Amino acid sequence: MKDLKELKKIEQFADQCMKCGFCSFFCPVYQEERVETSVARGKNYLVKQILAGKQEWTPVMADIIGRCLLCKRCAANCPAKTQIDRVVVAARAELVREKGLGAIKNFVFRKVMANRPALGRYARLMQKFQWMMPRTEGKIRHLPDFVKNLGKRNFPELAKTFLRDQVKPVYKPQNGQKPIMRVGFFTGCATDFVYPDFGLKFIDFLTRHGVEVVVPDTQNCCGAAIYFSGDFETGRMLADLNVKAFKDLNVDYIVTTCATCSSTLKDYQKYLPDNEEQKQRYEEFEKKVKDSMEFVIDILKIKPEDFKLKKEFEGKTVTWHDPCHLVRYQNIKDQPRAILKALKGIKYVEMPNADLCCGMGGSFSVYHYDLTKKIAGKKMDGIKATGADIVVTACPGCMINLEDNVLLNKMPQKVHHLLELVE
Amino acid sequence: MLKESLISEFQKIVGKDNVLTSPEALKAYSYDGTTSWVHEPDVVVFPTTTDQVSQIMKIANAEKIPVTPRGGGTNVSGGSVPWQGGIVLAMTRMNKIIKVDKENLTATVEPGVVLQDLTLQLMKDRLFFPPDPQSFLGATLGGIISENAGGPACVKYGVTKQYILGIEVVLPNGEVVHLGGRTLKNVVGYDLLHIFISAEGTLGVITKAELKLNPIPAAKKTLCVVYDDMAVAGEGVFHVLESGVIPDKIEFMDNWVINRIEEMMQLGLPKEADALLLFEVDGIPEAVEKEVEQITEITKKYGAKEVRVAKDADEALAYWKGRSAGFAAVFGKAKTVFAEDVTVPRGNIPKLINRCKELAKKYNVEIVVLGHAGDGNLHPAILTDINNKDHYDRALKAMDEIIESAVEFGGVLSGEHGIGLEKQKFMKKVTEPAVINMMKGIKALIDPNNIMNPGKIWE
Ligand SMILES: Cc1cc2nc3c(=O)[nH]c(=O)nc-3n(C[C@H](O)[C@H](O)[C@H](O)COP(=O)(O)OP(=O)(O)OC[C@H]3O[C@@H](n4cnc5c(N)ncnc54)[C@H](O)[C@@H]3O)c2cc1C
Ligand code: SF4
Ligand code: SF4
Repeated sequence: MKDLKELKKIEQFADQCMKCGFCSFFCPVYQEERVETSVARGKNYLVKQILAGKQEWTPVMADIIGRCLLCKRCAANCPAKTQIDRVVVAARAELVREKGLGAIKNFVFRKVMANRPALGRYARLMQKFQWMMPRTEGKIRHLPDFVKNLGKRNFPELAKTFLRDQVKPVYKPQNGQKPIMRVGFFTGCATDFVYPDFGLKFIDFLTRHGVEVVVPDTQNCCGAAIYFSGDFETGRMLADLNVKAFKDLNVDYIVTTCATCSSTLKDYQKYLPDNEEQKQRYEEFEKKVKDSMEFVIDILKIKPEDFKLKKEFEGKTVTWHDPCHLVRYQNIKDQPRAILKALKGIKYVEMPNADLCCGMGGSFSVYHYDLTKKIAGKKMDGIKATGADIVVTACPGCMINLEDNVLLNKMPQKVHHLLELVE
Repeated sequence: MLKESLISEFQKIVGKDNVLTSPEALKAYSYDGTTSWVHEPDVVVFPTTTDQVSQIMKIANAEKIPVTPRGGGTNVSGGSVPWQGGIVLAMTRMNKIIKVDKENLTATVEPGVVLQDLTLQLMKDRLFFPPDPQSFLGATLGGIISENAGGPACVKYGVTKQYILGIEVVLPNGEVVHLGGRTLKNVVGYDLLHIFISAEGTLGVITKAELKLNPIPAAKKTLCVVYDDMAVAGEGVFHVLESGVIPDKIEFMDNWVINRIEEMMQLGLPKEADALLLFEVDGIPEAVEKEVEQITEITKKYGAKEVRVAKDADEALAYWKGRSAGFAAVFGKAKTVFAEDVTVPRGNIPKLINRCKELAKKYNVEIVVLGHAGDGNLHPAILTDINNKDHYDRALKAMDEIIESAVEFGGVLSGEHGIGLEKQKFMKKVTEPAVINMMKGIKALIDPNNIMNPGKIWE
C-alpha cells in the first residue's frame, strides 16, 4: 500500500476546488492548449483520483503534472482559494518518490546543482565550450544538436568570470561609518554565472547606503528548479545548507536580487518541511529573507523619488514585467512601479498583462520549449504595445527568457533588472 | 469502448492532436461544475471547423454513438457530462471571434469563444454583449446559448435568448442548417432558433452564432442598501421597479453570505445586516444620478436601514467583487452544497425567503440565500455533507420543499442553470405530461437515433 505521504499533506487544498473552471481563463498553458488536463481544475481532479486510489502514476499522468509553470495565476484568481501550486508540487514530489528522478534530472539535480563546487566546475566547462554554440546577438546561445535532446531551449551565454570568483566575504559601508545594518547577500545561480556584474553593482549600491554586506561562500543554489520538480530530498538538503550558511553570520536580513530565489527561500517552510523542527527552522529563516525590491523601499526606506537614473538610460521609455515569483508568490508589485514612476529622465508605460508569466517556468521551458515560446509570444505582444525601449523586471530567470524571446521575435528592446537602471 | 478503426477515422478528420483517448484525458472530461455527476466518455474530439463537426456527426449517427458537446464545462446541472459515454465534442478550440460589426451592432463568433474574451474584445469598440452569467471567465458562447444563461443584468437587459439573432447548427445526421438570421426581426415560419437555445446540446451542435450587441452605457452607479429583515429587502425590489426605475442589476445576499464575504475580503459590508440589496443603474449620466436619488428615497421609505452609494468606480467594483465571491463563500463552507436555481415572480420573493427560513428550522439545516433578486431568481443554497446520511437526507427533503414552494408561488424550478441530470426528477414532477411529450416528439424528429447528449432533461 502506498502511503502517498506528500499528497496527504495537501489533500485539504485539493478538496477546496469546486470545479467552477474560472482558472481556465488565467492559465497560460490552458490558453495555448485549451484542453482540460492542462488547467488547474483538471490537474487537481486527477491528483484527487490518485489520492482515491483510482489513478496510477502513468507516463501520461507525469506529463500532465509536468505541464505547469507554477505561475500561480490560477491560485491567485481562484474564488475558492485553491492552492494548485501546492497540489502540483506535492504531486511531483510523490511522483519522484514512486518513480525516481529519471537519469538526466538525477544527475543534474543531485550531482551538479546540489553541489556548489561541482556546479561551478560544470558551469566553467560550459563556459569554455560555449563558443561552439551558434550565437544570437544577445546573451543567448543555441544548444548544438548533439545536446538538443536535453531540451530544445537556447542557453544564456555564461559570463567570463563568475561572481563567486570575484566576490569578497565582507563589504563595509563606503562612508566609513558604522553600518546601519548587516545584510547577507544571496547571489543565486543566474546572477553568479550570467549576470555577475550586476551582482557586484548591487553590493556597491548597498554599501553606498550604509549597509554592511556579507557573502558567505557556503551558500548554494536556492533549489527552486529542484524542489519544484519534486526532488524534495535534494531540496531539503539545499534548504538546510542555505539556512546554515547564513545562520551564524549575525545578519539582520538576507537579500537577493532574484525574485525566484527570494520566493524560494521564503517558501521552504511552505513546501518542504517533513517535521515540526524543520518547519520551525524554515519559518525562522523566512522572516529574514527579503527581495531587493521590497528591501530598498520597505527596509532601507529609500524614497522612490530619491533614486537616480544612470546617464545611459536618459530619455528611454521603460515598461515593467511582473515576475510570477514576485507578484504572486510575494505580493510585491507596488514597490518597483513606485520607483519607475518617480524616476526622472525615463517615461514609464504599464504594459497590458504585466503580470502574465513569461513562459519560463524553470525546467518547464526545457521540456516544453515550444509552449514556452508561445506563452512568451503573448508577453512580447504586451511589450510591443507599449513601444518601450527597455523591459525591466527583477528576476534573472525572467531576464534570460525575455532576452531569448525578444531576440527570437527580432524586437529592439533591451532587458534589465530594475536596479541596473539606477546609480 | 469504441472500435479502433473509428478512432483513426476521427484522427483523419481532425488530426491526431485533436483526438484524446488516454484514461487520464477521459477522466478529465467526465465532470462539469456539479459535484455529483461523473461519467467518462470513450473519446474526446476537438473539431476546429463546421465541416469536421459534420463529418464526425455522420459517423456517430451511422454507428449510433452518443455525442455530448462541451464548452467550458461550467454548467451546474450535469449538462456536459457524457452520461452514456461515447464522444465528447470539446468545442474549446473553435474559439474565433469572426467579426464585430459596429454598424449593425452584431458579432459573429465560433461556439468555443469564452464570454470574457468576447467582452474584452468588444470593449475596444465600446460595445457589450448584455447576458452576464457569473461564470463568464469559463463559460463559452455555445454553452451559454445551450443553457440560455442569464446573470444579474437580466433585470434590465434580459437573458441570452434575447441576444441571439441566428445560429449555425450541425444536426445529428451531419447536415448543416442556419436558423434565425442577422436581423432584429424575423418571422419566417416557426421560430426554430429558440428551440435550440436552451436545448442543452440535445438537438445538435452549434458551430457559429450571430450575436446582438449594445453600446456600453456612458455612466454607471452602485448602491448598497442595508436591511434588518430579509423579507423587507425582498419587498424593496418591487417597490423600486414599481416606481419606474429599472436598474440593470439587483442582487440579494443574506446575513450569512455577507459575513462569509467579509471574512474573505474585508469590504466593510455591514455584518449585522439581515440582508443587503446591491443595485446598479446605468445609462446617461444625468439619468443615472436621478435614478440613484429615487432608489435611495424609495428604499428608505420602505424600510431600508441604510443606503450607501458607492462614491467611485473602485468602491463599486469592490461591492461587485464581493457579490461574485458569494458563491465561493458558500461552496467553501460545506462538503456538499445544493445550489438551487428556483425563480419566482418578483412579487413573491418575500414569500419564498420566508419559506426558506421556515424550512431551515423545520429540517434543522443551514439554508443561505444569495441571488438575482431583480428577476426573482434566488439561489437558496443548502449546506450539507454527503457523508453524513441523516443530515443529507434532511437537506434533500428541504430542497424538495423549496422547489415545490417555488412552483406553488407561480415560479419555475430552474431560472438559468438548466435541467441536465441534476433537475430531472423535479422536471417530471412539475411539467405537464403533454409538454414533455411535445419535447420528446421534437427530439425524435431531429435526432431519431437519440445520439445527441442522451439521458438528459426529461429522461
Ligand atoms: C460559479 C458559477 C457561476 C455560474 N453563474 C451562472 C449565472 O450567473 N447564470 C447562468 O445562467 N449560469 C451560471 N452558471 C452556469 C454555467 O456557467 C452556464 O450554464 C454556462 O452557460 C455554461 O457554459 P459552458 O461553456 O461552460 O457550457 P458546458 O457546461 O460545457 O455545457 C453546457 C450545456 O451546453 C451544451 N453545449 C455546450 N456547447 C455546445 C455547442 N457548441 N453546441 C451545442 N450544445 C453545446 C452541453 O452539451 C451542455 O448541455 C454558473 C456556473 C458556475 C460554476
Ligand atoms: S478556479 Fe479554483 S475552484 Fe475553480 S476550478 Fe479552478 S481551482 Fe477549482
Ligand atoms: S500554476 Fe500557472 S501553469 Fe500551473 S495550472 Fe496554475 S495557471 Fe496553469
